[in-house]
Amino acid sequence: MDYLTIAPEKPAQLFERPPLTPRDQVRTVNRDDLHRSRLSVLFRLFMAIPHVVWLLIWGAGMAMLSPVLWVAALVAGRPPEALRELYAMLVRYALHVHAFLFLAAEPFPGFLGRKPYPVDLDVPPPGPQNRWSIAFRLLLALPALALTGYLISFGAGGGSSSTSGDTPSTAGVSAGLVVTAAFLAWFFALWRARMPQGLRDLIVWALWYAAQAWAYVFLVTGRYPNSDPAIAPLSPLPAHPVRLRITDRLRRNRWTVAFRLVLTMPHIVWLGLWSVLMVPLAIVLWLLTLVLGRTPDPLHRFAAAYVRYASHVYAFANLGAGPFPGFVGAVGTYPVDVEFAAPEPQGRWTVLLRLLVALPALALSSAIGGAASIGAVGSWFYSLVTGRAPEGLRNVVAFSTRYGAQTYGYLLFVTGRYPYGGPSDFRR
Amino acid sequence: MRRAAFIAAAAAVAAACAWGVLQLWDTSVPGGLDLDTRAAAATFDAAAREDAERFEAVMRWLFVASQAALVAALVVYARRGVRLFQRESAAGPIGTGFLLGMMGLALVWLVQLPFGLVEIWWTRRNDALEVGYVEYVVGDFFGLAGEALFLCLLLLVVMALARLLRSAWWLPGVAVLAGLAALAAWLTPYLIVELEKPPAGIAADARPLAAKQGVEGVPVRIEDVHEYTEQPNAYAAGLGESRRVVLWNTLSEDFPRREVRSVLSHEFGHLQHDHIAKGIGWFAIFALPAALIVTLVTRRRGGLGEPAAVPLALLVLVVLQLAASPLTSAGSRRYEAEADWAALEATRDPRAMVALHHRFTEEALSDPDPPGWFHTLFDSHPSGAERVAMARAWRERSRSR
Repeated sequence: MDYLTIAPEKPAQLFERPPLTPRDQVRTVNRDDLHRSRLSVLFRLFMAIPHVVWLLIWGAGMAMLSPVLWVAALVAGRPPEALRELYAMLVRYALHVHAFLFLAAEPFPGFLGRKPYPVDLDVPPPGPQNRWSIAFRLLLALPALALTGYLISFGAGGGSSSTSGDTPSTAGVSAGLVVTAAFLAWFFALWRARMPQGLRDLIVWALWYAAQAWAYVFLVTGRYPNSDPAIAPLSPLPAHPVRLRITDRLRRNRWTVAFRLVLTMPHIVWLGLWSVLMVPLAIVLWLLTLVLGRTPDPLHRFAAAYVRYASHVYAFANLGAGPFPGFVGAVGTYPVDVEFAAPEPQGRWTVLLRLLVALPALALSSAIGGAASIGAVGSWFYSLVTGRAPEGLRNVVAFSTRYGAQTYGYLLFVTGRYPYGGPSDFRR
Repeated sequence: MRRAAFIAAAAAVAAACAWGVLQLWDTSVPGGLDLDTRAAAATFDAAAREDAERFEAVMRWLFVASQAALVAALVVYARRGVRLFQRESAAGPIGTGFLLGMMGLALVWLVQLPFGLVEIWWTRRNDALEVGYVEYVVGDFFGLAGEALFLCLLLLVVMALARLLRSAWWLPGVAVLAGLAALAAWLTPYLIVELEKPPAGIAADARPLAAKQGVEGVPVRIEDVHEYTEQPNAYAAGLGESRRVVLWNTLSEDFPRREVRSVLSHEFGHLQHDHIAKGIGWFAIFALPAALIVTLVTRRRGGLGEPAAVPLALLVLVVLQLAASPLTSAGSRRYEAEADWAALEATRDPRAMVALHHRFTEEALSDPDPPGWFHTLFDSHPSGAERVAMARAWRERSRSR
């Protein structure tokens, strides 16, 4: 059963919907109501220390035991029930600890991963697993672990592996997605005593994926991790003037996949030239929006076309869509498209401080982009072999495209609404 | 009426090209030189010559096979490319043309890759190259990205003009392309990074030579290529103020000073006789009839303004380029000979030139006397034997003066 916690106005209401996931999929339950204690938020890192230490000890012990689990599962075609329970508890506990540490949930978790928790794990019932898949489990899990590593990495100073490179320009590039989101959310939660819904959902989604990856590695399930935000327990996407419209059917031409990097080159050059033009234009837009209180229609259209074109190119480069995009960012021409509402009045204070206010969104956009890029590498191999893009990874790219469009739309005064960070299912 | 207009246009193009070839064909090398290439070939060390022949024979056949594969791949692409890839585009006609052009290029790259790898294997086996296989593939792939950009620029000019002017695009199109070629020639020296200043000895040799050849002030630079190859090479690049002479450090460091002087003077010779500008003239002479022929051939696919014409246009261009190769190669050989002659006049050191070409055969495995058919069809430089024969002819001539 999936649960969805909806808008903060109705924190206790739980939604049920028909299961979208296979029976052996590890599912996460999200009952968090977004309320936070300022004191608990302030000392969250400090409070998590005993849990982190205990998790490391428990995790190390279970890692040493894992060869026994692996051999037993290989012989029997399924992991021994008692051992599987133990590993499921570990995965569940790891989820609780991470959810607490990264502000996705409020209560101090128990130390055995048994008590119900607002962000909890729904472990599938035991069942047989393919022996080949058990034999090569660690190898098969590498792509999922690479994505997990990025999602929950602490960066150069942290304990997890980072696939994001070591460019220190933004927090998103150096710190991984969850750490960036939690860092930004910390300030908000301290200020408002409430977790921003989008960031909470983003962290839940990333932790849900990590839990799936751990469960897969430790043979709790034979189902490969699925990154699709559509089947994560997230709040519905709120209305926003910048929307994503997807008509992509996942089919990919293997040739254009193979040479995607080369095919993107003219777009990169053209986007670069257009971006150079947008820098002085952004200043003009800033001044006009500040004076008029709204963006003039022709400039709104031009800036929207720029953001739409950049989104098309981004989706194409990251295999979020198949066709070669056009060069003018025309509406409705691309399977991963961005729609903009008509210009609306914008608050002059937010216009005045737009660049400053947009910085957190830019950092988060960069962090989400990192996850999408790692997903694109996996998607490249999958599409090259099967001629289809994996839906989960496509949806990660789509989410990144949507967030990027909302961020740059905000930065270029196309909208006055702040970007929504939750990776909710945009098709609902 | 249209047929008459076409015949008139074709005749005008043919006349213009013939006039252009006559203008560009002429060089300062005196006529009636006694070039005894057989005797010159005999001056090369027999063992070195045998090694070079063995090495170059494989390279020649690899080249011929790769050209055949290139044409075959483009024939298949011209027939099936549109059906395969046009539906993969969400772009307008020109953008779709980009996609079809780049996919054609990618296909060609893929087809030629095995030949390139065999060539690397053969060159490494003969100790003429340091590049690894993976390095080669990765480098070549990134080179493909650069070529894709160049092709897109070309298609942008051609398709935009063809959509604007229909079948009359080719005349202004060739003018624009020649302008772009001139711009590229001018820009090239600025795009080559990590060039170093020459050692004092080379700089001291270069100054009087440049002054003597009327190209004083043209800088000489050294390019470090030891990481990739031990092959010696040098080139002249640029137009006007951007002119440069570049020596690979495999040559500047490892060759005797007299031979380096000869190479320097040869490269100054190219600049002295405006060979780069004349090369653009050759390009225009080739492009004019080629553009007309491509326009005619692609009419059935809606003309060059339509993306469906792009795969066929690529095929026609490659075939025309191969067909024109004997003429363009001959023109190039004449300019190289002229640069050699200029070097002999400036250095007055035919022994250095002879020693240089002997060394090229011994160290760079350059066949001094390649088969006539290949030399005529594809070689852009005179053979080692021809160059030695020219040095000997210059010596005879200077003695008699």
